[in-house]
Amino acid sequence: MINLTLIFIAAAITHNFVLTYFLGICPFIGVSKRIEQAVGMGLATTFVMTLAACVTWVIYHFILIRFGLPFLQYVSFIIVIASLVQIVEMFIRKTSPALYRALGIYLPLITTNCAILGLVLFMVLREYTFLEGVVFGVGAGCGFTLALVIMAGIREELECCDIPKPLQGAGITLIIAGILALSFMGFGGLISR
Amino acid sequence: MRKTIQMISVLTIVGLVSGAVLVFTYKYANPLILDNQKSEMEEAIFKIFPKADTYDKDIIEDNVVFRVKEKSGKLLGYAFLAQGNGYQGVIKMMAGIEPDLETLVGIEILESQETPGLGQEITEEEFKAQFKGLTTSPEITYVKNKSPERPNEIQAVTGATVSSSAVVSILNEKIKAIKEKLKEQ
Amino acid sequence: MDSLKCASCGKELCKGLWRENPIFFQVLGMCPTLAVTTKALFGFSMGMATTFVLISSSLVISCIRKLIPPQVRIATFTVIIATFVTCADYFLKANFYTISKELGPYVPLIVVNCIILGRQEAFVSKHGVAKSLLDALGMGIGFSAVLVLLGSIRELFGFGTIFYYKILGEGFENWVIMALPAGAFITLGFLVGLFNWINIRLRQRRNSA
Repeated sequence: MINLTLIFIAAAITHNFVLTYFLGICPFIGVSKRIEQAVGMGLATTFVMTLAACVTWVIYHFILIRFGLPFLQYVSFIIVIASLVQIVEMFIRKTSPALYRALGIYLPLITTNCAILGLVLFMVLREYTFLEGVVFGVGAGCGFTLALVIMAGIREELECCDIPKPLQGAGITLIIAGILALSFMGFGGLISR
Repeated sequence: MRKTIQMISVLTIVGLVSGAVLVFTYKYANPLILDNQKSEMEEAIFKIFPKADTYDKDIIEDNVVFRVKEKSGKLLGYAFLAQGNGYQGVIKMMAGIEPDLETLVGIEILESQETPGLGQEITEEEFKAQFKGLTTSPEITYVKNKSPERPNEIQAVTGATVSSSAVVSILNEKIKAIKEKLKEQ
Repeated sequence: MDSLKCASCGKELCKGLWRENPIFFQVLGMCPTLAVTTKALFGFSMGMATTFVLISSSLVISCIRKLIPPQVRIATFTVIIATFVTCADYFLKANFYTISKELGPYVPLIVVNCIILGRQEAFVSKHGVAKSLLDALGMGIGFSAVLVLLGSIRELFGFGTIFYYKILGEGFENWVIMALPAGAFITLGFLVGLFNWINIRLRQRRNSA
């Protein structure tokens, strides 16, 4: 149990996917202008991350390892993620139109979100068990949502600021991300092994 | 209908071709990768035991132990692989211990993904050299921001206590296991 | 006619270097850019690996683009890209073992580098083989150049070296922050700002002339 809590906290805060591993920077810069948008994107990503962790764990251990096919790792992982996103999209559209309206437009963007593939690769690299993998997925998703929402909050405030023209857009976003990364380092002592 | 067949056939062909390409790449690269891993391990063993000439690999219940010998055939000590979680990822290292199993000869870090500039300092000579001649009983411990006083202490890298303590505890755990297994024999 | 053709070819090649630079202008492919540039050498290796994948997948896709039904376009592209990425990964592991260990999971992450899929979608699927290759080459070089630049700056201040050559003297205290994630974000932020500033100045000069 302690182990699982540690994995969760590490993935969500001390080793935040966006701010220490640089995963999912594209949506972090692209979809962080409004808080509602950020929440939607974050929830959709968390959902897909958790599912992807489950499915790829099973595929990796029961197919790739059993039949000695490690070289098909990347191809099969990316196919799984892409089809998962598609299935989730179709499923949500059928069952809950309201949820689809809220999350729908973000789903296609998730396929090329490096955070998902990164999550799966880290999970395999660190040899997590199934349960650890799932907790890792949820934690990473929460961390992603947290970073995205904080960023969106700051950017909403920034709109009233007088930013030097060359830094508008990506420039100032990256610099803020740097400062956020610094402040997240303060959580570093939270886990001492 | 024709469209469906076209879609399926294109995807199948692309899949098959990609699979074939990957099989060839794997067949070409895998022996080279295994070679690299082996020579990396050998290098580490010879760096820890400069006088070493040959070594025998021995696997005792999950523990990989190398019996390192001098040219004359005299046992120089045991080298073993130890790995565990550091601050950001897995730390993998080779360590050498004298035949009496009480004194460390040295360590080499084989793999680590610690923070560059902080935790990654554990791969620097300055940190690794501290393990030379350390006594292993009682267990190795670390001190912060001051010079070590006892023969089983090392000084943690400033700003990277977690990485340093990870190295120490991974080592301690493995030394304990190795001691037990080797004494049983 | 020939000179016109050459000029347009040159344009395809050069636009990736500055005007449509994948990192500065399109702000794509951020995660490898930031993650592996703690040292110039790693940035260079990552740039080369990405360029290789970009060129080879552009070549294959531009050859077979007419055969691919549009509905399964993205899926096919992704499989092709993933295949080349696996090849690059194994090649690095087999021949440049130490570098591949440093790059770690960021080599497989080239699969989801938006630059590659983005180029296939936006350019290769609409153009012929020659133009696609030039475009890929230009984008690849532009991407690698930024990676090396960012890597050099971070290595210089973070470790006092560039490509492992000692540049700053013994008295220099390493700025650890440059090697940390925060340093990556801030340096790249200012570089993007610098790029925009130069572009604004160039435009003003052109307008006044």
